[in-house]
Amino acid sequence: MTENLAAELAPRLRAAATAPWEVYAQRATRHEIHFNGDQIELVRGPLATHGYGLRLFRPAEKSIRVGFAASNQFDAGAIDRTVQRAEAAAQYASFPASKVELPGSAPSLPSLSIVDERFQADPAGTLDAFVAGLLAAFETTPRGVPSFGSIRATLAESSIANSEGLSAQFASTEAELEVAVKASGGPEGAPPGEFWVNRSARRVAEADLGVDVPTWVKLAEDMRRARAPSTGPQTVVFPADVLADIVPPVLGFRLSGPAELRQMGTTVGTAIAPPAVTVWDDGRLPWGTGTQPIDDEGTPEVRRALVENGVVSAHLYDSLHGAALGHPATGSALRGGGLGAAWYRFASGLSVSPTNLVIPPGPGGDVSELAEQVGEGIWLTQLGFPFPDPVAGTFGGEIRAAYRIHGGKIGEPLRGGTVGGPVLGPTLEGTLLGGVRAIGSRATLVGSFHAPPLLVDGVGVAGGP
Amino acid sequence: MFSLRDAESPLERAIVRLSQGAPYADAMAEFSSGIQARVERTQTAARPSAEIRGAVLRAWDGRRWIEGSAPDLAASSLDRAVDGILRSVAHGTGPQRPVPGGPSTARGEKSLVGARRPVDVPIAEHVELSRHWYEIAKSVDGIFNAICSVSTATNERLFLSSAGARLYQSVDRGAVNVVPVARENGRVEYTALTEGWTGGFERAESFSEDGVREAAGTALALLKAEAPPTGAMTVLLDPGTAGVLAHESFGHGTEADQAMRDRSYLKPLLGQRVGPEGLTLVDSGVLPAGWGSMSFDDEGTEAQRTVMVDRGVFRQMLHDRETAHALGSTPTGNSRRADYLSRAFVRMTNTYVEPGDWSFEELVREAKDGVVLERVTSGMEDPLGGQMQIKTHYGHRIVHGELGPLVSGMALSGRVLDFLGAIRGVGKKEYFRMDPGFCGKGHTDLLPAGTGGTYVLSEGVVGTA
Repeated sequence: MTENLAAELAPRLRAAATAPWEVYAQRATRHEIHFNGDQIELVRGPLATHGYGLRLFRPAEKSIRVGFAASNQFDAGAIDRTVQRAEAAAQYASFPASKVELPGSAPSLPSLSIVDERFQADPAGTLDAFVAGLLAAFETTPRGVPSFGSIRATLAESSIANSEGLSAQFASTEAELEVAVKASGGPEGAPPGEFWVNRSARRVAEADLGVDVPTWVKLAEDMRRARAPSTGPQTVVFPADVLADIVPPVLGFRLSGPAELRQMGTTVGTAIAPPAVTVWDDGRLPWGTGTQPIDDEGTPEVRRALVENGVVSAHLYDSLHGAALGHPATGSALRGGGLGAAWYRFASGLSVSPTNLVIPPGPGGDVSELAEQVGEGIWLTQLGFPFPDPVAGTFGGEIRAAYRIHGGKIGEPLRGGTVGGPVLGPTLEGTLLGGVRAIGSRATLVGSFHAPPLLVDGVGVAGGP
Repeated sequence: MFSLRDAESPLERAIVRLSQGAPYADAMAEFSSGIQARVERTQTAARPSAEIRGAVLRAWDGRRWIEGSAPDLAASSLDRAVDGILRSVAHGTGPQRPVPGGPSTARGEKSLVGARRPVDVPIAEHVELSRHWYEIAKSVDGIFNAICSVSTATNERLFLSSAGARLYQSVDRGAVNVVPVARENGRVEYTALTEGWTGGFERAESFSEDGVREAAGTALALLKAEAPPTGAMTVLLDPGTAGVLAHESFGHGTEADQAMRDRSYLKPLLGQRVGPEGLTLVDSGVLPAGWGSMSFDDEGTEAQRTVMVDRGVFRQMLHDRETAHALGSTPTGNSRRADYLSRAFVRMTNTYVEPGDWSFEELVREAKDGVVLERVTSGMEDPLGGQMQIKTHYGHRIVHGELGPLVSGMALSGRVLDFLGAIRGVGKKEYFRMDPGFCGKGHTDLLPAGTGGTYVLSEGVVGTA
């Protein structure tokens, strides 16, 4: 059972603040192990944090004034001061909605797969065992070593209460793995190669975090002899690992209430991909890092289609943007993101975001079948980082690991040069989603993104001649 | 008003308790607060940043560092953190080593504040100034929206150690961000004009009106911008882009913890020529008003100016106490924590290219044909491989030694050492500019870091982004 900090704060807020109000509270404990080579360098934890963020909604002529303030101090004086700071902020704020309907009291929350019970019961022991297993796996791969790495895991207890009678709480866990795998030695003159892994999952589990030491070492080895690709539009296969950093940020903004309100979004009914492409927002996806029973203002999570048969079918709303644009909230009010660490979610304002984005598998087949359909092109394994621009709808990054596809077979390794261009645009031509020719048959979960590889024609590649 | 000095006694008691069970202990306590205001077409938001206070405690048990944190500065929270650390210390076995690099014994107080401290500037003034920039941007014909924000923050830090160190600093930071937005036929374009500084609110008032109008004009022009040329070519980096090269592509390779792991392509090059005589690269934690400036780092070493590359020769890596001791150098004041919940390791502060003696017109003429990369948006390090990835929002073609048409976003890649070796000119002092940014080490632990410099002319691979 989690500790309902928000419910503990509610009586004080009823006394200190006039309705409507909402408080989101979080208590989190974190453990970390950092290693250099096979040596443990630093053990951290329990790292404890707690705090709350308070929103006040004040009606004004044709608008609502929303005041937000947050603190990690729970004494009565600090709570009163936080209320005062939120009231002061509300005086200067203005949002174009006539009223807001906050979620009221809810039935019991569904039980979802979001807690690593082993980590919850024994956090330090679970991390110790994970690192021991990971380092042991490298003992069988003499050409590859972990030059450094870390596993960091957090147990968060979140709670929400508001003036409409909502009082809800849930626990969740999240693990982050970073490992830099280096390959060196062998024929003289070949520089060391590296494959740098960054993954997140709900559980401290090798399968969930995608641990595959032999493949990582092979990638690091292969990159030692890799060359840059040639320049020009090419057919590229994007696996879920790469798409996870591109598609959610762009669709998450372009199909959101905030983009719609600013007239910067992609309107419902617009074709952005071939008919074979469907995209879901699924807040209940088992073990997705975006899964939770309710969003961060208390709206229950569901699964909804955002893109059906290649056409935008829905947008995402929180209570405020829903009120401004005449739509119900969609369970998309989420805290954190941006520069905020997961443990400071209470300190960040709400944004409208997807929970877990899901692209269902297609008939494109497995790796070899996809390669055969490519003929000549690139299998992209890792970009430095694609740094998507949600407003312009573009992405671009350096190729850190890829393979040339030649004659329908996966061939020599590629590294260097860039891949980039629009993710979506006014027309399908020349965009990542618009250029999808085939969808792989096996989807993988990467944090909050679940998708198969996508085979895309006409992707901008820059490298050598 | 709360001050960290109020929490000094319980912190000292925590250190005494830790030092009874471990050879060395230290603590970093933190208090942060601030205000953010944002004005745009449909809404105004004003909110105080979360008031966060807490401490991280660290002990050296003879083999490794062990850390725990207190989510506030109450004696009971600190006691719990100490108990957790001492439990891990008690488990330590095996040969003992002294504290890596030796402990700091420095004492002092030095703050980076201006005439108008954030705490003295009301929310209303933040909102008014945001609206002022909004009105100027919107006054440009064709500008559809402008998202304008003003934020200020204060971060207090207190460092205490069992060796007698006591260092206190308060750092005020401010930032102004203006994003004019243009749209036409479903295409949305924008530019971002940003300044960030350490010091008082008075810097916010000196933000350039001409700069805002120029940025708005560029957003409009981007609606009709051509795609950039792609492939290997002559490139002229603007000051912001050159700064990201200095930071991401070169600076991360000079972080000595990467050298200790043999994960730096620069390690074998210390003392060797890596660029022409006209190239000097600096990291300075004492740059006046620099976004990443500070008085001392998070293990008690004074901030300083470090010349990494002096007239083309790689002279100095960036160190914490442990790496300096291990590699026979001296600490450079670069051990930083993102916040009290994050670990300390070697990080940059303000990283830049020192000015040379070329005018912009001379650089364009020298380029003959190529592209100017302008308004950097991101960069990604590759400390082992030595590849670069830098993205810019837009740029201009260079045609026959003259500035040509505007082109849309670009991604620059190639080998860093090839790029440095091919440098043909470095711009004059009058172009020197610093940008505020947030640097992660890998994908996490984001903290304020300034980047900048002047124009740099060289060769690289350009792709779309």
